[in-house]
Amino acid sequence: MTTTIPLPQRYSWQKFLPIVLPPLIVLVLVLVVWQILCSGSNPRLPAPITIIRESWHLIVNPFFDKGGTNKGLGLQVIESLRRVAIGYALASVVGVSIGILVGTNQLINRGVDPFFQVLRTVPPLAWLPIALAGFRQAETSAIFVIFITAIWPILINTSVGVQQVPQDYRNVSRILRLNRWEYFWTILLPASAPYIFTGMRIAAGLSWLAIVAAEMLTGGVGIGFFIWDAWNSSRVTDIIIALIYVGMVGLLLDRLVFYASKLIVQSEE
Amino acid sequence: MQSLPLPAPPQSPVELPFLELRDVSKYYPTPKGNYTVLQGVNLSVKSGEFVSIIGHSGCGKTTLLNLVAGFTRPSQGFVSLENQRITAPGPDRMVVFQNYSLLPWLTAYENIHLGVKSVYRPQNETERRQVRQIVEEHLELVGLTDAAHKKPKQLSGGMKQRVAIARALAMRPQILLLDEPFGALDPITREELQDELLGIWERTKVTVLMITHDVDEAIYLSDRIVMMTNGPSATIGEILTIPFAHPRNRARLTEDPQFFTLRNQCLSFLYERFALDIDHD
Amino acid sequence: MNTMQTYLEIDHVDKVFQTEAGAYPVLKNIHIEIKQGEFIAVIGHSGCGKSTLLNIVAGLERPSAGGVVLEGKEVRQPGPNRMVVFQNHSLLPWLTVRQNIALGVNRIFRDRSPQERKAIIDEHLALVHLTAAADKYPHQLSGGMRQRVGIARALALQPKILLLDEPFGALDALTRGRLQEQLMQICNQHKITAFMITHDVDEALLLADRIIMLTNGPGAQIGRILSVELPRPRQRMAVVNHPNYYRMRGEIVEFLNEQKKSKKQRELNRIAIAISRGNIEKVNLDLGFIPLTDASPLIVAKEKQLFQKYGLDVELRRQSSWNSLAEHLVNGELDAAMMLAGMPLALSAQSNRLITTAMTLSRNGNAITLSNQFNQPNTSPVEELRKHILTAKEKPIFGIVHPASMHNFLLRKWLIQIGIKPDVDVELVVIPPPQMVANLIAGNIIGFCVGEPWNTRAVLDDVGFIITTGIDLYEGHMEKVLGVNQIWAQQYPFTHLALIRSLLEACAWCQQSRNREELVDILSKPDYLNMNPKYIRPSLCNPIWLTKQQTRYLPQFHHFLVKNKPCITEYEWVLKQLTEWGILSCQNSQEFLKPIVRDDIFQEAIALLDLNLLKLDTQVSQQTSEVI
Repeated sequence: MTTTIPLPQRYSWQKFLPIVLPPLIVLVLVLVVWQILCSGSNPRLPAPITIIRESWHLIVNPFFDKGGTNKGLGLQVIESLRRVAIGYALASVVGVSIGILVGTNQLINRGVDPFFQVLRTVPPLAWLPIALAGFRQAETSAIFVIFITAIWPILINTSVGVQQVPQDYRNVSRILRLNRWEYFWTILLPASAPYIFTGMRIAAGLSWLAIVAAEMLTGGVGIGFFIWDAWNSSRVTDIIIALIYVGMVGLLLDRLVFYASKLIVQSEE
Repeated sequence: MQSLPLPAPPQSPVELPFLELRDVSKYYPTPKGNYTVLQGVNLSVKSGEFVSIIGHSGCGKTTLLNLVAGFTRPSQGFVSLENQRITAPGPDRMVVFQNYSLLPWLTAYENIHLGVKSVYRPQNETERRQVRQIVEEHLELVGLTDAAHKKPKQLSGGMKQRVAIARALAMRPQILLLDEPFGALDPITREELQDELLGIWERTKVTVLMITHDVDEAIYLSDRIVMMTNGPSATIGEILTIPFAHPRNRARLTEDPQFFTLRNQCLSFLYERFALDIDHD
Repeated sequence: MNTMQTYLEIDHVDKVFQTEAGAYPVLKNIHIEIKQGEFIAVIGHSGCGKSTLLNIVAGLERPSAGGVVLEGKEVRQPGPNRMVVFQNHSLLPWLTVRQNIALGVNRIFRDRSPQERKAIIDEHLALVHLTAAADKYPHQLSGGMRQRVGIARALALQPKILLLDEPFGALDALTRGRLQEQLMQICNQHKITAFMITHDVDEALLLADRIIMLTNGPGAQIGRILSVELPRPRQRMAVVNHPNYYRMRGEIVEFLNEQKKSKKQRELNRIAIAISRGNIEKVNLDLGFIPLTDASPLIVAKEKQLFQKYGLDVELRRQSSWNSLAEHLVNGELDAAMMLAGMPLALSAQSNRLITTAMTLSRNGNAITLSNQFNQPNTSPVEELRKHILTAKEKPIFGIVHPASMHNFLLRKWLIQIGIKPDVDVELVVIPPPQMVANLIAGNIIGFCVGEPWNTRAVLDDVGFIITTGIDLYEGHMEKVLGVNQIWAQQYPFTHLALIRSLLEACAWCQQSRNREELVDILSKPDYLNMNPKYIRPSLCNPIWLTKQQTRYLPQFHHFLVKNKPCITEYEWVLKQLTEWGILSCQNSQEFLKPIVRDDIFQEAIALLDLNLLKLDTQVSQQTSEVI
């Protein structure tokens, strides 16, 4: 066993430079190469400088609202996020609940597992026509697509997590004679929490992927339709700005769930 | 004490210290000043000797081993092997860790082969054949010829440790450093591997420095037991010479009156004179 | 056994697992009665089913047959009156130390006020010295600390019995040692009834009142039970320095080693198929011996190929203690063995097998050695000894090798002669011969009575001196005899005769003074006494070293060819001694001794023997007549 010795803590630029510098260099390099490649007359894609020049109003003003679908990218993203939030929240509640039910009951598990395995492979957008047929409403259908996309990873991971509760912990609860309620809150849920969060993290990524695609088809305010609309009106520079937004938000979502899990889950080691 | 610059090479070739630790101290700087792990350690190990180091956790045993391995360097004093100062790890000192440290995607044979190849760097077919022969010899030495083509996950803990020992020995080190090699094994396997290690040592007469927590293991295997005082500023408290002749036999050992005396001496050092208080962890 | 006192009873428990390959028996007929406040350790190799046994007591598993009764009530479910400390601690990683303990406390003591519950938790945190770590999470603790939390969690519920499942198995040897001491203190202070599973011999001896040894599975059974009669409260160093300690440790280690051999191998040992040749019903024999100078006839018969001469093919099986020798003879793993003179009687009375002896292997050969502390210039050692014994705070201890040994009788006789009452003034403790000297060095015993070479060893190693010899106390006493199972003797009469003849010829060889130097060399080999010849030579070749300065010439110290025919009157004396010292009781000595002492078989053996073979260089006529 080794003794841990507290090292003197020095925060300085020198420490962060090696972390920040390499991606910055790569970014600059990519932009320069892009600029060179697309700087001829009438390029197929706009060069970075062209993008900044033509879409300047989108960059500087993310929250303008000129009515209808003519809104700033910030507002578009918020609208998409609202749909994701509803669908994702529903998926989490339903997914975790069914997951626990399926995980604790071997019989139910055997009955439903094959169907879950089939359904989870259906691509998100394939659900859209069904949803539209059922709900006859674009908004609800989009949320449904998020829900149906996010639920599988949450559900399946939860049920696995529940099944994986170590026998030792079950023994502890038996010896302490914990009742079902105590067992649920003090053993089952915390023990399967790492699995549940893994599922939720995967689900968050998938929902964001799905919403952009779904909005392209359903229309209305939202980042997905914004991109579709920009394509239809040949505003390629706007599409590129929107893609950057989509990427950033996707990353933020992933980190958010990750840190939430770190905050809540007390891991063994 | 004389204050000569560096030790003059000893005159008698018989008494030539093979591994030498002279006034070795090791400390780490902390905001509250230096944290001393080892303080003034002096130890000479003869070629072909089997020396065990025993002490409670936190007594700096592992630091001592790391100094000999060359993973760290002493803050004061020096460590030398055959009058060469140790400053970096080298193939002349092979370490076997408690957790085997085998590459999981290579077979037992390949794990050993990788090490041997890196030392001998064979250039032509003859040399390559020699390398293969060395690997096979060492697999046989630890009785794993049949398991040569199994991956670590197909091997039991004891077998994995055998592969690790074979890998270390195959590089023909001058000294074998064992860091609690059998700590993770169940008692039966542990005894089997102790027997095997003893047999290998009796045949190859490689110099061994072993860290252990197990008094019986230390007595059974070693020529000398180095007992460490408790940290911080740990040092050698006492060195116990184990006089039993080789080859040794576990059952015969316990029929020798000296066995009980030595065992109790060792226990008394660890549980009476240098006992750790209950709160220590 | 007094059933009133039984607190927990594991009543003839069987456990069978149903697997795809069919029924797999794990435990067979396990019956243990535990008294209140008793600490029981169950030891066995991994996979022998000891954890299953603990789970059954805990109620986590149900036995296939039998049951567990706690205070007269059968337990069928887990409950807080039987708390388990698991090997892997099983703390909930998402709860702090305090919360982990509180989980059970709040559940079980829900009728108490929050203050009371907090007090219970605090008390138990303090008990395991973890008050400072109360708000840490398990992953912030060392392995030893986690295990202490596990103990506190269990004890906080004030269980009737604490179940420990290899509690320190995952820790390194020294941390384990420290936790054992702590657990021992807690158990002492709180008079806890405990049932512990372990594979650590030292741990079991330190903590337990009784050690239950399980055989290897499948179908593990209780192999042996050892009562650990070490005084409490115990201290580790006091425990390992107790003269009894290494004998008990040796017994457990030997049991475990025995189990280690594969079941098949053990079966093979047991049922060594009899190979017959000519009129000899079984030529392949396993003979048990203890590495002592007295084993000379067996060793010489082997080395000088006298067994072959009489058509036998003998393997000598070295035994680590008289107890294991006896066990192996009784269960048939050994065909025959050298024995202490009283052993055939004691074994016949205590086991359900009759042990027969038809030959005496040696006479004399014993001495009483005292610690050098009594050998001061210008004083009488006996006076010094008497003074020491009468003023000692604790009863001083003498070592003997077996209760049914001549050593026991001789030592008692001598003590009475010098005015010391055995058992009252001094304690006599059974210690294997090799450990006598070590115990004398450590000061655990003040003297011993033992066979050679251990007296000489003590003298030459400068730890003791010979105060008197067996010759001075009882000239020509029986020492070692040949013991066989009565059934074996009936089954293989010609084998028995051949064995006696070959050993008799070996005795003659050993008796010759011109052979004695060679005998010393043979005995010193690693397979036999494994000792420097300087320790073996004095008693065989003379003179004997009484102290490092003083020698004595005793040519008759070892007799191998004098009165080898068993004599019923001598055994009557032995039986009287055994009865007198409470080792066994016997109503009708004639009736009891008759099937055991078989002078008739000896007579038959020498009837057709060429007596010239037994001729010695000197005193031929006298010696030969004495044999017969």
